[in-house]
Amino acid sequence: MVALLVRLKLTLLRNSLKRSTWRTVGLIIAMIYALGVVSLVLAGLVGLRFTSLALTADVTVVAYAALTLGWLLMSMLVFGVDETIDPAKFALLPVRSRELLPGLLVAGLISAPGVATVLVAVGLVISWAHTVPLTLAALIAVPIGVVTCFLLSRAATAAFASFLGSRRFRDLAFVGLALFGVALGIGGNLISAFVNAEIGDLRRSLADLATVAAWTPFGWAWAIPADVSRSAWLVAAIHFMLAAALVGLLWMAWSHFLAAGLVSPIERGGTGTKVSDSTAVERFFPATPAGGVAGRTLRYWRRDPRYLAGIAGFLIAPIVLIVTQRVNPEGIAAIAAFAPTLLGLLVGLSLAQDLSYDGTALWLHISAGISGAEDRAGRVMSTMTIYLPLIVILLGVAMITTGEWHLLVPAVGLTFALMLTGLGVGCLVGTLWQWPAPLPGANPFGVGNAGGLPSLLSFAVTMIGTLILTLPTIALVVWSFYTPWVGYLTLPVGLLCGFIVLRIGIAQGGRILDRRWPEAMLAVSEKTA
Amino acid sequence: MSAALSLVGLCKSFGPKRAVDHLDLDVRRGCMFGLVGPNGAGKTTTLSMATGLLRPDAGTARVLDHDVWTDPAGAKALMGVLPDGLRLFDRLSGAELLHYVGLLRRVPPAELASRSSELLDALALADDRDTLVVEYSAGMTKKIGLACALIHAPRLLILDEPFEAVDPVSGEAIRSILRNYARAGGTVVMSSHVMELVESLCDDLAVVAHGRVLAAGTLDEVRAGSSLQQRFLDLVGFTAAGEESLAWLRSSSGSS
Repeated sequence: MVALLVRLKLTLLRNSLKRSTWRTVGLIIAMIYALGVVSLVLAGLVGLRFTSLALTADVTVVAYAALTLGWLLMSMLVFGVDETIDPAKFALLPVRSRELLPGLLVAGLISAPGVATVLVAVGLVISWAHTVPLTLAALIAVPIGVVTCFLLSRAATAAFASFLGSRRFRDLAFVGLALFGVALGIGGNLISAFVNAEIGDLRRSLADLATVAAWTPFGWAWAIPADVSRSAWLVAAIHFMLAAALVGLLWMAWSHFLAAGLVSPIERGGTGTKVSDSTAVERFFPATPAGGVAGRTLRYWRRDPRYLAGIAGFLIAPIVLIVTQRVNPEGIAAIAAFAPTLLGLLVGLSLAQDLSYDGTALWLHISAGISGAEDRAGRVMSTMTIYLPLIVILLGVAMITTGEWHLLVPAVGLTFALMLTGLGVGCLVGTLWQWPAPLPGANPFGVGNAGGLPSLLSFAVTMIGTLILTLPTIALVVWSFYTPWVGYLTLPVGLLCGFIVLRIGIAQGGRILDRRWPEAMLAVSEKTA
Repeated sequence: MSAALSLVGLCKSFGPKRAVDHLDLDVRRGCMFGLVGPNGAGKTTTLSMATGLLRPDAGTARVLDHDVWTDPAGAKALMGVLPDGLRLFDRLSGAELLHYVGLLRRVPPAELASRSSELLDALALADDRDTLVVEYSAGMTKKIGLACALIHAPRLLILDEPFEAVDPVSGEAIRSILRNYARAGGTVVMSSHVMELVESLCDDLAVVAHGRVLAAGTLDEVRAGSSLQQRFLDLVGFTAAGEESLAWLRSSSGSS
């Protein structure tokens, strides 16, 4: 059964790659990236050999406990990190959960995070291979630790499958993940801003953290070699027993939920959400095709978790910048004052991926025969409706917190220039590359859901194109640092250049789309694995 | 009088596989036309090319004298389309979706509201007008898709499997809508693999397999005296398996 499931997993993976060269290229890029991260970690683990055993103990316990916690969090927030082999699909076959479990365990580890975790865990043996008892301890700890990671995520998702199965919860989880990212960004920066402390303090807090982590379920297994290195044999034995018991418990829990799942596969959706029949959105935009597109996309900004997560994602950078520059006593007020320009720069990205987010529903635009320019204009209207207030608020916050009011005009000018230019560039770029985006509520990190090369190209060209076309305004802003009155020129010049690029973007993007509608349809309708 | 839909020499290949192979088809005005064929015959591919959703490798598609690929705006304005297997903007409610399609189709705002509530009533969707389409059942999704195809009063309806997953009551409602539409001069082209349905509803039909038209004409011409089911099986080349095959499936002789 193990070999069968592993073969199934590999076949599914190979077939999904065979269908599209783009996806293969995307996977290779992802693999190079993952390999880079893994090799950096491995280098660090080898490096630990040249430090003291105590430092190795503290660093590895904290890091690997965090890795284990990460498996739990990621699988809870993003349902089932890898659904290629969905246990519910075995519901019709006469198999028992006992027979499936070992196979599912191994097959589950054959995924990017699984392989990376195994590699990184094996690297731990290198760090610890000083003496025979230490090597043995590491060799015992690593498999237990890896299995704990995987079982923790599986048992937790299986237990919460009924909640996670409902659309509403998955939407919330998606937004939650984005907010988690914001919090992580701010938290990380805050810590680095506050920790101007001495190395000695840092070392002591790491030791404290390691002591705590070693006694949480996430650190039990990883603490075994650390205990051995201190010759704390009794503690090592206790950690070993706790870790082994945890694995046994998780195994039983997973088996229990899997058995239940085989009898009643999860039914998704069907909560019958009603929406209020409001015509406010319709009155806000003209009753034309472009106005219709604007109204529809505006509703999507509110109802589609991918757009909500997008807003949160775009807000991370400027908010992090403002907060860290203000709380850090050595922060530079001018940087915080210009932070809203980052949001202006990013806005165009949402337009560049709009067609892909529509997915195959795009056929309605094609068969209705609306022109590409109408489609573009409608999307620009709704994107501006969402981001204009956010940008104004952000500019206000930046100015009030910094008090650098003399930078108001250049900051406003540059932000608006970037936003308008970005919208224009996004209008054009969005028509050139489309890809099958994950459905709303679907796992954004699932196998085969990455947009591959088209999404990377679209991202890079939008960013670079926006920056190049905003150069006149950027130059004026730089000049104004030396000759302050030039700052007042940035607003009119920025608005003028921005509007010109936006007009061209809508017209040219529309023209391209008129020619490429069927090709766009083909690009988004490639089935996601 | 020109044909409502005229396909000439349509070809489409996906890699090495020829999905549609020099397909010719003429649909006269005011008729109910059935496109039948086994799974994988190229029905959906043909209809996608006829409606401007998929660019053909070769050949032309004309709708009431407008070429779909050189005069897309003119042709698309005359067509109402219900594709199979494509999503809708399903984060809108039924009523919002219908309103949206109406705006895209430039239906006069004054008429849009009344047309849309009439359609929702006729298709028994009035109670679920404010429910998100993503929560609709498969049959309800078909029905709201049909409403979207009808909202701008098209002259030609192209429907891919319009009765799939639709319950018998709603099915009868759709039939009467389509019959009245054809009686008033509209043309309906629909694909199906249910022979009884096509036999009871369509005036003309074409049998396609392997991307080619095997037979086309009025119902009686194609049937040629036998039942449509039998004629279809003859054309497609199906012979029932003999006694020998699947012998192990007989439960009386089974061991377990």
